[in-house]
Amino acid sequence: MSNRSKGWAIAVAACVGLWLVQNGSEHVTPPVPSAAQAFAAGPSVHTDAAADPLPPSPPVRLRIPETDVDTPMMRLGLAADGSLDVPPAGNRNMAGWFEDGTPPGAKGTAIVAGHVDNAEGPAVFYTLGALKKGHRIEVDRQDGTTAVFTVDAVEVYGNEDFPDRKVYDEADRAEIRVITCGGGFSKKNGYQGNVVAFGHLIGVR
Amino acid sequence: MRTTVRLFTRTALTVAAIGAFAVPPAYAGNSETLEIYPSEATPGTTVTVNTLACGKHGRGVGDANSLGAGEFHLNPSTHKEVVVGQFTVPEHVKPGTYGISVACDNGKTARGDLIVKHRRPSGHVQTGVGGSVGPDTAQVTAGAAVLAAAAVGGVLLLRRRASGAQGH
Repeated sequence: MSNRSKGWAIAVAACVGLWLVQNGSEHVTPPVPSAAQAFAAGPSVHTDAAADPLPPSPPVRLRIPETDVDTPMMRLGLAADGSLDVPPAGNRNMAGWFEDGTPPGAKGTAIVAGHVDNAEGPAVFYTLGALKKGHRIEVDRQDGTTAVFTVDAVEVYGNEDFPDRKVYDEADRAEIRVITCGGGFSKKNGYQGNVVAFGHLIGVR
Repeated sequence: MRTTVRLFTRTALTVAAIGAFAVPPAYAGNSETLEIYPSEATPGTTVTVNTLACGKHGRGVGDANSLGAGEFHLNPSTHKEVVVGQFTVPEHVKPGTYGISVACDNGKTARGDLIVKHRRPSGHVQTGVGGSVGPDTAQVTAGAAVLAAAAVGGVLLLRRRASGAQGH
């Protein structure tokens, strides 16, 4: 190799190195669902028929095979301001369900929440915004059954206009909501919204 | 004979009166309206009921056993014609519609329905602090390594070039 071409190779390497350092220094935020995953993007391509609701039984584990989520489930109540309590931030692999509401698989709307991250880094639902319509959410229940849900939509809402009724109202079939933080981050105000995955029961194992 | 009839009538009336009290108010034929506030309540909420049925300075006993809240008393309120009472929706009541009835001291009854709804959360959740937000350290490290290698390469190349020039 001539000295000239060696010189070019070194110059190119220097440019690549600079780009890597500069690009990597920009802040990486959790995945944000694309507009195609919203309800507004038209009827779901995965029109899996709804399964008959199961009798109520508390959940013990939740899995999302597509994104390697596999987490135990704890009970959640309400905070003083009426918002849903969240699992302890110290545990990065822990989701919770709203205990006064519908358990997953039963008729109604089961509400599940977990952290997108904590002070140490990504947490259980870091990848929630990467879910797509038709992905599966599986919930192992205390009665030994596994409720299988399909994702109908993944939407992101600003904190100030969170659609309570759309997310929390009881459905007349077995549905699930999985909620975490997302939708932009600012150092001053933290996460600016929530990512919500909507699903309905399609089967039981 | 007349005494017998009178006695009989009195007994019949007494029996009827006892019967009227014995019949659970919920099944009484012509119950009056029992106003319930709020008409939809969540567990733990204090519910206030009032009715005109008991009349001026009347009193009554309310029956909220349908939802496990027991009995409660109704007393005259500041509005003289109305009696008012309160009970609390127990914590573990299932959602649904529950009949609440009141038996007034004057023999009248009142009835109304309370809808129990479970609390729903409201608003967004606080599930992140931003600990995952930050520079991509792996990428920055790789970039720094590439830069360092290029620098080393550059120095070697320049030295070789310099020594080559001396040789000529």
